[in-house]
Amino acid sequence: MHLQDQNSALKNLSALVDFSNLVNSSLDLDFTLNNILFTCFAKLQITKGVVLFVEDNKLNIKSSKGFVNHQLDDFPEISIDNFEADKKFKTFLKQHHLQYYIKIQTASRFIGLIILGEKLNKKPYLEKDKDFLTTLINIGSTAIENSLAVERLKEINKTLDSKINQLSSLFDLSKEFSGIIEEKRVSKLLVFSVIAQMLVSKFALVTCENRKPKVLESRIPVDELENVLGDCLLVGETEPLDEIKIKEKYSKLWNLGIVLAIPMLIKGETKGLILLGKRLNNLTYTKSDIEYVSSVGGLAIISIENSRLFKEAIEKQKMEKDLEIAKNIQQNLLPSSIPKLEEIEISAYNKTARQVGGDYYDLIKLNDKELLLAIADVSGKGVQAALLMANLQAFLKSIVKQNIPLVHASNLINDLVSENTTNGSFITFFWGKLNLETKVFEYVNAGHNPPLLLRNGEIIKLKKGGMILGVMNTVIPYESEKVSLKTDDVIVLFTDGITEAMNTKNEEYSDERLEELSLQKANASSEEILNAIIDDIHEHTWDAEQSDDITCLVIKVK
Amino acid sequence: MADFKVDMRGMGSVSVLDIRGYLDAHTTPELENAFNKLIDDRNYKVVVNLSDLNYISSAGLGVFMAYIETMRENDGDIKFSNLKKDVYNIFDLLGFPMLYEFYDNEKDAVEKFGESK
Repeated sequence: MHLQDQNSALKNLSALVDFSNLVNSSLDLDFTLNNILFTCFAKLQITKGVVLFVEDNKLNIKSSKGFVNHQLDDFPEISIDNFEADKKFKTFLKQHHLQYYIKIQTASRFIGLIILGEKLNKKPYLEKDKDFLTTLINIGSTAIENSLAVERLKEINKTLDSKINQLSSLFDLSKEFSGIIEEKRVSKLLVFSVIAQMLVSKFALVTCENRKPKVLESRIPVDELENVLGDCLLVGETEPLDEIKIKEKYSKLWNLGIVLAIPMLIKGETKGLILLGKRLNNLTYTKSDIEYVSSVGGLAIISIENSRLFKEAIEKQKMEKDLEIAKNIQQNLLPSSIPKLEEIEISAYNKTARQVGGDYYDLIKLNDKELLLAIADVSGKGVQAALLMANLQAFLKSIVKQNIPLVHASNLINDLVSENTTNGSFITFFWGKLNLETKVFEYVNAGHNPPLLLRNGEIIKLKKGGMILGVMNTVIPYESEKVSLKTDDVIVLFTDGITEAMNTKNEEYSDERLEELSLQKANASSEEILNAIIDDIHEHTWDAEQSDDITCLVIKVK
Repeated sequence: MADFKVDMRGMGSVSVLDIRGYLDAHTTPELENAFNKLIDDRNYKVVVNLSDLNYISSAGLGVFMAYIETMRENDGDIKFSNLKKDVYNIFDLLGFPMLYEFYDNEKDAVEKFGESK
């Protein structure tokens, strides 16, 4: 071997050792590829080189040196099967003056190609150049494979990291959700977490209440969304819908930009939906992404449902408390004892329904010879009705003390009630003054069920008066009527809780039955008449729960 | 409960949010309030200085997603500065650097708003 050859072999060898040390010192793929190309360039005085990698059975440019920007953009699609015979490949080499290529491969697989341009001196590649390149690439291949393995590991690590991140997000949320009882807060957190994890800006969170969609959060105009969702057709869906399915089954939703719909289930039933648009990083939703969104959705919907149930329970509690207060008010408004009088017998009965109505009656001894009696039914239920009743009682008590004529007092009471009621509350009201000496009974009936005056086997209905209290201020004054009562006359005063008392077949007790019974019993004492009426009503209703109060007063002239 | 605090400063036409401590599902409402205030005051150019942020959860990141469009629709933006490495890694993991600008220091981020004008 000539000295010159020996020298050059040594030089080659030392270049190879250097190269080997260099490329194996780093696991960075770009660094490795750059060094392979630059070592080739330096050793053989080449100015151009390309590295192609096999991806999906095709050759793709991975790295290049010595080309101006975009010069390689025309790289054709070349399959690796028989690429050497491919015309497109040959044309590509020719076009860019590429002279020589070597396969990068390990024992197990074909990684890609290194393609090199012509030498600066335009001389062809010598055998020894080719030998050198083969050795160089052999060393390089291992380094490339190692770098690739590291890249794959990094990728796996990243997937793991993002999985861990999603898990910690789930943990964070489940902790937070268990402590919140507010639907709005839950939906906000759900949305925040999902849009950050998935990088989406278009989203909506919808639940379904009474077959109407309820949009909790949305970056899509709510009216458009509600239009599209209509009567909650998607409730039938229990599996996530991808873009293809949405386009196929719910094209209007797809038109709004929704490409993923994930149902939120409780016990297998869809209670809501998470709707998502395209991801801003242009990635598609993976199975793992869908699992994450479903998990967050599952957590959230339970929390939302709990919050709804909680609200309902509170509401119910409040209502019951409300009823209790109302009952107390009402009971305190009714007279605690019935005046015992020589001239007349009085008997009274009042029973409040579970859902308090607004029956009221009063018996007030005005002076030695006058008795005021009143009966009323306030519209509405609960505290509102009870308060209106309390108002009525207050008006009544203050007006009667002033000794104003009954008609004028009625006008005044109506004005007061009208001014003090809102949202259409009203009162049916009957009151009268009985002169115990002359037995003259003067009454005004403001829209109340006419009391029955029983006399000689006949019924006279006490109808004279005017409009129901509270509808509007007094325009037409009330009218009163004076009736001279005689011994054995009976007056039955009642509220519609009696005549409308329902039995289990939803049949009313009725005016006729009350009138008939009253006539039958007219000769008995006031207490006996009252008891007969109450017993008869109980016989009618049996166990049916009454929705209205029942009040009855019976007066008999001695 | 871990400390959390949001402070607002004005730097010319740019608002700087200093977010400190732990930003998780529990503390997001404070950050939302800060953004709502910015929008009420028509301050759409925002630099978020995270030098004292120790942890951020997905729910916290979501707040930035929820407000970015409004800011950009009004010729503003949300830019981040001074992130600790751990915190940046979380932003990176979810792909935020593709959608948002990140700066090593607040001054660069603030000045960037000036340039685009």
